[in-house]
Amino acid sequence: MEGKLSSVAKNFTPSSIQELSQLAQKCNAINLAEGFPDFPAPPCIKEAAVSAINNDFNQYRRVQGICDQLALKMKKTHGLNVNPLTDIAICCGQSEAFAAAIFSIINQGDEVLLFDPCYETYEGCITLAGGIPVYVALEPPQWTLDPEKLMRSFTSRTKAIVLNSPHNPTGKVFSRDELEIIAEGCRQWDCVAITDEVYEYITYDNQKHETIAKLPGMQERTIITSSLSKTFSVTGWRIGWAIAPASAIQNIHIRITDSAPAPFQEAALTALRSPIEYFETLRGEYELKRDFCMKLLGSIGFRIQFKPQGSLFLFAELPKDCLLSDVEYVEELIKQAGVVVVPGRGFFHGNESCNYQKRYIRVAFCKSGATLNAAAQKFGELINAKACPKILY
Amino acid sequence: MQAAECTWTHFEMLRPFCFKSPSTTPLFFNFSKHFQKGYSDSSFFRSNWRISNYPSFMATISSVSTHKDPVSTHDATPNITHQPVQVAKRLEKFKTTIFTQMSMLAIKHGAIKIGQGFPNFDGPDFVKEAAIQAIKDGKNQYARGYGVPDFNNAIAARFKKDTGLVIDPEKEVTVTSGCSEAIAATMLGLIDPGDEVILFAPFYDSYEATLSMAGAKVKCITLRPPDFAVPIDELKSTISKNTRAILINTPHNPTGKMFTREELNTIASLCIENDVLVFTDEVYDKLAFEMDHISMASLPGMYERTVTMNSLGKTFSLTGWKIGWAIAPPHLTWGVRQAHSFLTFATSTPMQYAATVALQAPDSYFAELKTDYMAKKAILVQGLKDVGFKVFPSSGTYFVVVDHTRFGLDNDIAFCEYLIKEVGVVAIPTSVFYLNPEDGKNLVRFTFCKDEETLRSAVERMKEKLKKK
Repeated sequence: MEGKLSSVAKNFTPSSIQELSQLAQKCNAINLAEGFPDFPAPPCIKEAAVSAINNDFNQYRRVQGICDQLALKMKKTHGLNVNPLTDIAICCGQSEAFAAAIFSIINQGDEVLLFDPCYETYEGCITLAGGIPVYVALEPPQWTLDPEKLMRSFTSRTKAIVLNSPHNPTGKVFSRDELEIIAEGCRQWDCVAITDEVYEYITYDNQKHETIAKLPGMQERTIITSSLSKTFSVTGWRIGWAIAPASAIQNIHIRITDSAPAPFQEAALTALRSPIEYFETLRGEYELKRDFCMKLLGSIGFRIQFKPQGSLFLFAELPKDCLLSDVEYVEELIKQAGVVVVPGRGFFHGNESCNYQKRYIRVAFCKSGATLNAAAQKFGELINAKACPKILY
Repeated sequence: MQAAECTWTHFEMLRPFCFKSPSTTPLFFNFSKHFQKGYSDSSFFRSNWRISNYPSFMATISSVSTHKDPVSTHDATPNITHQPVQVAKRLEKFKTTIFTQMSMLAIKHGAIKIGQGFPNFDGPDFVKEAAIQAIKDGKNQYARGYGVPDFNNAIAARFKKDTGLVIDPEKEVTVTSGCSEAIAATMLGLIDPGDEVILFAPFYDSYEATLSMAGAKVKCITLRPPDFAVPIDELKSTISKNTRAILINTPHNPTGKMFTREELNTIASLCIENDVLVFTDEVYDKLAFEMDHISMASLPGMYERTVTMNSLGKTFSLTGWKIGWAIAPPHLTWGVRQAHSFLTFATSTPMQYAATVALQAPDSYFAELKTDYMAKKAILVQGLKDVGFKVFPSSGTYFVVVDHTRFGLDNDIAFCEYLIKEVGVVAIPTSVFYLNPEDGKNLVRFTFCKDEETLRSAVERMKEKLKKK
């Protein structure tokens, strides 16, 4: 009865990231693959959730306070005026916010531009809504945006462009100039920008995250999506949001899940009122982890050409002398070093038959000091024993 | 991945990166003592409630700001003059829901809400405590996309207890953010644009919207009072080899009808004959009062073509937790899981642990739930009859529909507005649950998922102020 699957569902493959995680668990490998922390969430936020459950915040609700906080934040950080009563939908994670945005604007056959490489879920969602994903490749090793390539990709069928910055998997933070180029394309072709800003508070080396919505002519055509997950280490709580002017998003969202988990909406109020020190500490500590990770890879022969400017990931090209593909390398790393990372090919979708698409690995460094030190220890043992020439250079 | 439990209390740096002395034990690196400080006042959330907009009576009933309650519109809002982002054509007709509109009116008039389908009392302590424990134990990161293994197991065990069917929790259970998302994932995963789907009206309002999102062609069969029986002849002439699926909600919202074994058997044989899928929404299965609940999946030949959906919210009075699930054979589960992974990716982790405990509740819990609801139902139904409504029999759910016409209003919306403004009670107009609103104009829906005092007060108000014409 395979015929009963919708044609769209038939073409999907299981999340490679999740599969690898399962293999890693079997081998008890140190997991530097999946993008969620293995350290606890901040205690006061957990306490707020516990309090909410005890105080009977357990029925359907939409906590307006979250919208008020977000509107304040948008004003303070980006200078944007957002109406907290009409412009914000609280969703089950940024995942649902993105799905709600896509379903609210995509008609069958609409094209959606995506930068390549990118997070694997966007395409599935767009296809589910009847849209057509069109990829614009960022150029390695610096993942630069070619303005001409971008403008050539817009057609009369282009409805939207997806912008994930800070970027998964490369760690790129799109510059103001790049945002301006993208904005120009949107204005010229009357397109919507859908942003994924989940790593908005995780930027390095004094880089600041900017939202494209603040550029001239963009607020009215931008849907911003983000969530609590990465900022507050609560990826399992499913609290996210979509922000767009007087949008239909709320009504569409209601039909997908109706509302986000009530007690965690309450806890979100605590989280969103965190003092500035919280965000500074977050950034500082992730920066240290980033630096540690770069040295970690350096010790086994990697030459990191692109230092992550944001996000929780390092996207590293395999050493030139290494003859393995990304998948082979990852398998070797699990077997020999007991460490798991993600092969980069799953993030590439281009038609271009570029070798580089099979030459990257993604390392997640949103892990505890214990985990990172353990990985260092493993690599150290390999190096000292001069074992496994396949992964040491 | 196990989340590491936080036991350290002081800030330590990563040791400088160095392989020279592997025998030295590594130091731990952790987030700083900022996270040990309680920098928020625990009473803050009360200050965020829009209490000032609620009459004090409302505050005692439910001080919760629900998503279906719109916020007050008299606050100063910045002057935004942006054009709205355009909505996809097939979804343009879905504006604010009727629930939001009625709520606005109810707040304005301080009306007693016995219209909307969620309780004004809370869930059981043992389930809440399980959620709290899960949060404290650090179960706060992404769960496996299709469900926490223990929870999938508990769902399978519960399904076996309820239907006798043995299923594989790994291959045949998908956990979703409420039954709402199970429905959306099922539609989007298994329905192609142009596919014919049969719906029974009146229907829960999200069905039509998700079917539209999937681009399906909806064929509607109306259930009519007094018993809302399935019109078999009409069903036979509607179903054909072109039908992809039929959606059944039993026990049924808004009428309280429960599909009988005879009806299900007839539908089953038509589905087998025409190779049609069945999607069932059984969220009220534990609120079955006048007869036993029957799952379509348990009928001969039906499991292989049925997606059975359910949730935690109604059975455990925790509607805001958003824990639901879909049970289907592997070849159908695949489509559901794919769509789900692009809708929400994963479901709230701590609540799944709590739901595992909930589903293992002893029989006494469910027996007591039924007894409590039957007492509430008696108060409401007798009350509505005393007031003068024509009350249709409701076998299950916590809803009752009544005919309002002897009170002289033109249609259901007019009646509900009158009821709020002049009487101070909220009911829900049923016309929005029909493809053709005319079909519902004589009917309104009341609920009894409220504490007894609220129900009595509402009945008293209606007795006092609602006059027959």
